[in-house]
Amino acid sequence: MDALALACEDIARVSSKLKKIQRLSAYLKPLDDEDLLLAVQFLSAGPAAPPGLNQTLFPAEEKTSLSVGRAVIREALQIATGWDRETLRLCFSETGDSGETAGLLLRGISAQESMTLRQAEQLYTQLALARTTLHKRELLTQIYRRCQPLTIKYFIKMITRGLRIGLMERMVEEAVALACHVPAASVREANNRIGDLPKVALAARHGQLAAVETRLFHPMDFMLAKPLERLEDLADPAAWFIEDKYDGIRSQIHFDHGQVRIFSRGMEELTQAFPEIAAAWKIIPGNGIVDGELLAWRDNRALNFNVLQQRIARKRVSAAIIQEVPVIFMGYDALLHNGTLLLNQQFEARRQVLETILSNPPPLLQVSRQHRAATLEDIDRLFRESRARGNEGLLLKRNGSLYEPGKRTGVWQKLKRPFGTLDVVITSAEQGHGRRAIYFSDYTFAVRTPDGFANVGKAYSGLTNDEIKELTKILRSASTEKFGRVILVKPEVVLEVAFDGVQKSARHKSGYALRFPRILRWRKDKQAAQADDIGILEALYRSSLV
Amino acid sequence: MQVQFTEDGIHLPEIGLWLDNTRPCEASWLSHAHSDHARGCHTQVIGTPATLRIYRMRLSVAENQQPPKMSPLNFGESMPWNGATLTAYPASHILGAAQLLIEFAGTRLVYTGDIKLRPPLAGDTTEVIPCHHLIIESTFGLPIYKLLTREAAQQRIIAFARECFEEGQTPAFTGYPLGRGQEIVHVLANAGFRTAVHGAIAKFIPVYEDYGYRFPGWEPYEAKATAGKALVVVPDHARVLESSGKNIRRAYVSGWAALDNARARGGAEELIPYSDHADFDELLELVQRSGAKHVDVVHGYTAPFAHILRSRGISASAPQRSSDRTNMEAEG
Repeated sequence: MDALALACEDIARVSSKLKKIQRLSAYLKPLDDEDLLLAVQFLSAGPAAPPGLNQTLFPAEEKTSLSVGRAVIREALQIATGWDRETLRLCFSETGDSGETAGLLLRGISAQESMTLRQAEQLYTQLALARTTLHKRELLTQIYRRCQPLTIKYFIKMITRGLRIGLMERMVEEAVALACHVPAASVREANNRIGDLPKVALAARHGQLAAVETRLFHPMDFMLAKPLERLEDLADPAAWFIEDKYDGIRSQIHFDHGQVRIFSRGMEELTQAFPEIAAAWKIIPGNGIVDGELLAWRDNRALNFNVLQQRIARKRVSAAIIQEVPVIFMGYDALLHNGTLLLNQQFEARRQVLETILSNPPPLLQVSRQHRAATLEDIDRLFRESRARGNEGLLLKRNGSLYEPGKRTGVWQKLKRPFGTLDVVITSAEQGHGRRAIYFSDYTFAVRTPDGFANVGKAYSGLTNDEIKELTKILRSASTEKFGRVILVKPEVVLEVAFDGVQKSARHKSGYALRFPRILRWRKDKQAAQADDIGILEALYRSSLV
Repeated sequence: MQVQFTEDGIHLPEIGLWLDNTRPCEASWLSHAHSDHARGCHTQVIGTPATLRIYRMRLSVAENQQPPKMSPLNFGESMPWNGATLTAYPASHILGAAQLLIEFAGTRLVYTGDIKLRPPLAGDTTEVIPCHHLIIESTFGLPIYKLLTREAAQQRIIAFARECFEEGQTPAFTGYPLGRGQEIVHVLANAGFRTAVHGAIAKFIPVYEDYGYRFPGWEPYEAKATAGKALVVVPDHARVLESSGKNIRRAYVSGWAALDNARARGGAEELIPYSDHADFDELLELVQRSGAKHVDVVHGYTAPFAHILRSRGISASAPQRSSDRTNMEAEG
């Protein structure tokens, strides 16, 4: 781990991609097999969560994959360094990075013991398995006291998943290829097949890339769609297969003669949560992997995500809830069938396999309907029809496209229109991270209520850097109180936000939260009194339940 | 002794003296010649000869204006002033930078101005002056700021230049025009590199030379002839260089380079965390060795640093508006 930290520092020091790759490759090359696995794991996906670790379906933003939150990372640092909360908060806000701050503050304090990659792996496992926050904090404090500050910097960055050394997964693939003397394309293809770069690295080293095969019951990455902001930007309307874009839980079915497992995009297993879907797959002959979406479904149409949400929220899946929130699986794509991997086959061929697999399906399993268009007007009409059915919009899959796991390359595009927009008022602002650390770039915003304002969400994307700079000044002078990285401000600045839905929420005072809020524009022309009223949210929420 | 802290500077009303007043006044002590300290056309200014010389170079006097009366005060020298005694001591920061000891009615007040405790790359070495009341800066007054020693900074500067040349690239160092710029040139020129110096920095090299610093073989920077030379330019010029498409790698020598986000902010690849300001440990050491009964913190992380001092049992306050460190591009 000490050497990995040094390599990361070295990689950060050059901006040329090629040099970064060369430096990483030089580090990887002399490692033994086990270390190679670990190093590539840490760099590409972060430390693996130990099997059986209880993960939530939608992990909270502040938690990492090991269930080690920023708060624990910081509290342990408080104990190890003796610095008070206020001083630490300021240090964190200046660097914008937990790992870096820990590394900087532990200089001259920690005992300089060495840490191997294997030891790091053990420590990550211990941290993940520690049941209480207190226990996690104690473990981290020990690590802070014992290990080298630079190692700790990267040990923590691996947990918080932001290395900030300008290294993308593609570059890790290339470094692996360079270190193992194989073509970069063969590493990339193998990684596409199994979505497990550490294993690919090992196979590359031993000349076994060709043998890297997708395996049943090991989830692979999902192919993703690129957002299409404006339909007019689409050059060739006739070149796409067009499907409704549903708002459910994207999932991957692995089935093999009666054995079934369902995985979510977060690679968590959902089999227990949707027993009726698993049961339906049991009668499908042969074996395979199918990509699709779980949807709450009634009267031949998908219900709002809020309805599905009610079902996920339950710990136990009772017969009653299965009745109350009926769910179906909507099939999108076939990735493997009867031992044949289909990723490198064209979409048309894969679709045919999907239709074969589900040629005579039980009612809970469906195949997504496809449309073709000749003109942009056709697509626009399809879009409106999809919206009329209560769906989000359209998904466009290009003729002849291959399935690229984990990629958002633009051969799939999604056309969504926001569910709605609101004019809201900023009530508090938080400093950003990384290069935005010196600005207030994350805003909590509110709608009007009879007796003031009530928060409904938080957003950080959508404004230009210049706007963020300007807003930072304004918010700073409108601030009424400061808590570390956060300032409360007088409700004065109005933003127009777009969002994809309204949910009940205990987090916000309004009782509601916007789904995927993003800032459309800064309404300099509006006063706080002209912001939207909470009544609109109440109405939107009620309408989403039917 | 009465001390008033204002937005323009520090006022000692009992002896009719301002410290680093940025607005025209009767009489101001100039701790050093950076324009956020030595500015404005006062009636009388007191400073070290080097500070006054640079102040004069930078001063613009309107036609109907009387140029200031300059009262030089050498390091270690004292002068009487309205019943008080003023003594200048070196402060390392830049050429001529000085601390001022004011003895009045049995109390010793020291105003550090901008200060560095460890020996600088080029400049005088600071003395710690025992006092009752200390007014100190805190540009790097947070424990995350630990900066390189002179020797380590020298090595890093030279190693970076060498690494670039070995790879057929041109190293470019950024430094602000007065102080850091000359320090970097001093290291490079004395290590035997051909060093091309941007005009804004070169302007002050003769002043440094007059005070005994040598810059063997430095040459003026020319945009058309950069190959094979180490470049020392002002930060604003660095982007110009980079966009010129030349094979240039940039190093940022600054206290702010202690944080990785300096890379994203300034675009330099190499970060060399060295400053002509004291780092956190030096600041603490300065305060402790001064033996001051009370400390006022006036620049940088004022409130947080005063808070840290208080938590160590030292009476301290941040008399100006709390944390006035808003500009990371400040000279550091």
